[in-house]
Amino acid sequence: METEVKEKIVSIEKPHLEAPADWQPVIMGILCNWCSYAGSDLTGTSRLQYPPNIRIIRVPCSSRVDPWFIIKSLQASADGVLISGCHPGDCHYISGNYYARRRFLVTKKLLNFVGFHENRVQFSWVSAAEGPKFAKVVSKVTEDIKKLGPLHLYKKENI
Amino acid sequence: MDYTKQIQDIAGRLFSENKIDVFIGYRNTGFDENQVPVLINQYKDVDQLLFTDKSVFNLANYLKYEHTRNKRVGLVVKGCDSRALNLMLTEKQVKRENLYVVGIACKGVVDETGEMAQNCIECVMPDAVIFDEMLGTPSGRREYQENADVRELDGKTLTERQEYFEEVFESCIRCNACRHSCPLCYCAKCCIDQETATLFQGANTTSSAFHALMTWSLHLAGRCVDCRNCEKACPSHLPLHLLHKQNEKVIYGNFQEHLAGMIEEDRGAFYKYSLSDPDDFIM
Amino acid sequence: MARVGVFVCFCGANIADFVDVPAVVEEAKKIKEVKYAIDYKYMCSDPGQGMIRDAIVAHRLTSIVVAACSPRMHEKTFRKALSDAGMNPYLLEVANIREHSSWVHQKDKKAATEKSSDLIRMAVAKSIANEQLHEISVPVTKRALVIGGGIAGIQAALDIADARIPVVLVEKSPSIGGKMAQLDETFPTLDCSQCILTPKMVDVASHPYIELLPYSEVLELDGYVGNYKVKIKRKASYVNFDTCTGCGACWQKCPVKVPNEFNMGIDKRKAIYSPFPQAVPNKPVIDAEHCTMLLKGKCGICAKVCEKGSIDYAMQDEIIEREIGAVVVATGYDLWDPKPYEEYGVGRYKDIITSLEFERMVSASGPTGGVPLRPSDGKIPKSVVFIKCVGSRDEAKGIEYCSKICCMYTAKHAILLHHKVHDSHAYIFYMDIRAAGKGYEEFVKRAQVETGATYLRGRVSKIYQKGEKLMVRGEDAQIGQVVEVEADLVVLATAVYPYKDNPELARLLGISYDKYGFLSEAHPKLRPVETAKAGIFLAGCTQAPKDIPETVAQASATAAKVCGLFSGDTILKDPMISKVNTDYCSGCQNCVTVCPYQAIVTEEIPLGHGSKEIRTVAKINEGVCQGCGSCVAICRSMAIDLAGFTDMQIINEIVSI
Repeated sequence: METEVKEKIVSIEKPHLEAPADWQPVIMGILCNWCSYAGSDLTGTSRLQYPPNIRIIRVPCSSRVDPWFIIKSLQASADGVLISGCHPGDCHYISGNYYARRRFLVTKKLLNFVGFHENRVQFSWVSAAEGPKFAKVVSKVTEDIKKLGPLHLYKKENI
Repeated sequence: MDYTKQIQDIAGRLFSENKIDVFIGYRNTGFDENQVPVLINQYKDVDQLLFTDKSVFNLANYLKYEHTRNKRVGLVVKGCDSRALNLMLTEKQVKRENLYVVGIACKGVVDETGEMAQNCIECVMPDAVIFDEMLGTPSGRREYQENADVRELDGKTLTERQEYFEEVFESCIRCNACRHSCPLCYCAKCCIDQETATLFQGANTTSSAFHALMTWSLHLAGRCVDCRNCEKACPSHLPLHLLHKQNEKVIYGNFQEHLAGMIEEDRGAFYKYSLSDPDDFIM
Repeated sequence: MARVGVFVCFCGANIADFVDVPAVVEEAKKIKEVKYAIDYKYMCSDPGQGMIRDAIVAHRLTSIVVAACSPRMHEKTFRKALSDAGMNPYLLEVANIREHSSWVHQKDKKAATEKSSDLIRMAVAKSIANEQLHEISVPVTKRALVIGGGIAGIQAALDIADARIPVVLVEKSPSIGGKMAQLDETFPTLDCSQCILTPKMVDVASHPYIELLPYSEVLELDGYVGNYKVKIKRKASYVNFDTCTGCGACWQKCPVKVPNEFNMGIDKRKAIYSPFPQAVPNKPVIDAEHCTMLLKGKCGICAKVCEKGSIDYAMQDEIIEREIGAVVVATGYDLWDPKPYEEYGVGRYKDIITSLEFERMVSASGPTGGVPLRPSDGKIPKSVVFIKCVGSRDEAKGIEYCSKICCMYTAKHAILLHHKVHDSHAYIFYMDIRAAGKGYEEFVKRAQVETGATYLRGRVSKIYQKGEKLMVRGEDAQIGQVVEVEADLVVLATAVYPYKDNPELARLLGISYDKYGFLSEAHPKLRPVETAKAGIFLAGCTQAPKDIPETVAQASATAAKVCGLFSGDTILKDPMISKVNTDYCSGCQNCVTVCPYQAIVTEEIPLGHGSKEIRTVAKINEGVCQGCGSCVAICRSMAIDLAGFTDMQIINEIVSI
């Protein structure tokens, strides 16, 4: 891939600064294939409506989610991150979500410790049958992020 | 706390009995009161060795380099150092049969000001947890206490913490000294240096420092033993322990009071799980 | 230089009504790597796929993005289109602009259009990092393991063996035959159970492709589909089967008497015994818990009378290993213990028996010579009450499900009773009569007409003793009155319950089971024979209650599955699995710890190029890896990556918008 990497620090503004009037947040959603991605498909099949700010990435299992993806998302265009997997006990791969859950807690607390609002990164368990829950979760996360405003911390932009 | 004589004797004995190829200990810098690590290769040099409350560095770090690989090594470990060594053994980075471990029942080492260091005041396990020979009288495991600096920062507002850490990440010069000084950062090629990680960022910006230090501290979460080698190595004097102690606090509080390297064959909090782990932060 | 083709689907009106598809195409064309972008009404249709195939050739595309429905829907379809055009199918990415955009943002076309463009941008970025992947071919050991030697296991073993595939049949008891061998006659045709079963049992024993391991248990199963290794314990029988002729001198002379399990404890067997006359193999075993020679070192009569010298008191359990490619689990069922029905006086009144005890009594080879007798006084009962749904369909005391076979066998029992005791009368308490099946309804009718049995719709509330009789009080819901029946014998149709060791077996096989202990099929409708673990199949009541024809059908279905699996020399497996970059691996083995499938092993490689020193690194067992990515996320040095979901692909997606 021939990507010219030019970088600049976009801004060192504080997140509580007022957002432009037409600002819409970008939310990075990372969903496990077997439960949450299937659940989000069901949301679609059921024509349940939710805010259009989420951008969904499919991974096989929540245990595939390296905390590093969260950090990268926050550095890139995301104003918030939602990660969703199978309910405890339902993991398609037996134990993946249990390992992931530990990493998620520590990552969330660490990000909060260094200055990110706790609502910037959120987690959910959504099963393949929980289409309505997925719509609800996305609506809540979007609303939370809208309240917080654009994320300016440690941003990078590639051109 | 002065074990200079005993350590010289032990090292001398090990060399004369041909039990080791290298002995890792401390020696005087030669120009001030401070000490630096030293690798002794022969009997006649053992009188360089000393051990006092200025023996601050974690010598387990030197087990990850060429000089000691597949050699018979003698080394001195304090409580914290021995926990790092324990993890290195569990993670198959060194072979126990190649080591002669001189454990110290540590009474605490000093910081730059000459006072007892913070990690020693808060130390949970001053005695070496792994050793062939123990020097001093073990004082036993102590109660876990939250790091004073973490507690202080936790008491501040989000914006204050944010401003504080922005300055921290801005001051980082990405020299990677922290990584080189950490006994548990032994990876053949660090993820931070790999193409995937570097493709979208340059060498030295606040954002890249944020990325590097956060990822690094998460790779040490549940493994960091609070020896503070990284902090001693940092030319920018960054309070790196804040990240590690924050993670340790969360792990200790939520995952069955887990502390790194206390027992053999414990790989750290991220390599096991409990069905009753906290779930309330997940929708 | 990447040359990406983007194909945006209208999905009729499904996408086009809520997303400005032409605008999305224009937006896609602005991406540097995109060399071709086009829309079409139905991309999944033949012309739609044709457009993709043609464009791949005409525009020398290096990866393809189809923006359409969920990849869970048509990913395979489009992969095939790539293959047909000579392109590696894994160079496809699907942007889900239907389920994730047009269907969920129907009130905001502008936002849905923008989002669709972003989803395409992400898919394009990911596809640039896609690598050519090839399905992994895994060699197959063409030998099947069948666990359980009841009719399900027998049928599966015979069908597989008839296809000239070697079978190892493991049975925990001394003989195959299972529950069916205990039955007298079978519904709905009343043919003698043993007459139709024993020839099959003999076929098993004599089949050149079947290795029969009676008195054995499965201890361990390692490996993966096509390449399992099983450890089997052959329990010490204390009889050398190779020399034993089955003459029976030993069990005739044995002085120790033990309740006979095969006859439901109605009579006694000896400490050295063969469970029943037609047993296969027809060789006795010594019951170590009761043999005085083994317990106290005294007796030894059987050894004295054995002309062949086949008795060996020093025999030990033996562990044997077999390499197999597939497993059929056919462990059958147990009868549910009716103890919770205290109001029936279960355990207090001797003349209350279970249906299987009744079955043994009316069997010509049974302990009472084919005549039902009251356990209390040995008299022939004239009035017999049958109670159905004991445990079944009872959420309060028993279990929720219907045991399926009780309606039919109770009708059969009424007929058998009538045959054996001509002047008897049967009373049957029932909730419903469930007789769906070929000839079943007719059979129930026949029972009612032929025997004149009284069918009482309602549940029994109490049974109590009155003199020699048992008084059965229940409700006849059809007349809305409480009725009391004077009975000589009460027969409980207790529920079909999973074999008690199923959970333990499931754990060692790595498959799942439900809250009762029935083993779980992969899909209740479309994959009723497979388990979620590739290469392990289910036959018979181990999965759910079934009658004999259904069991036999499912057993044959497992045989078809096994034969299908073994039809080639290799099995093709999804290539989206982990791989190790040994240059980066530091050998910490954390991946080994977190892998849920034990798919990661270690290997020793030279320390450097040409070096004599060695170092240990992780190695993925391609056959076992299921591609969850647990190891990838915990690998600090990023030495492991997951094909199809590499770090590079995911990071590309993250930074592309």
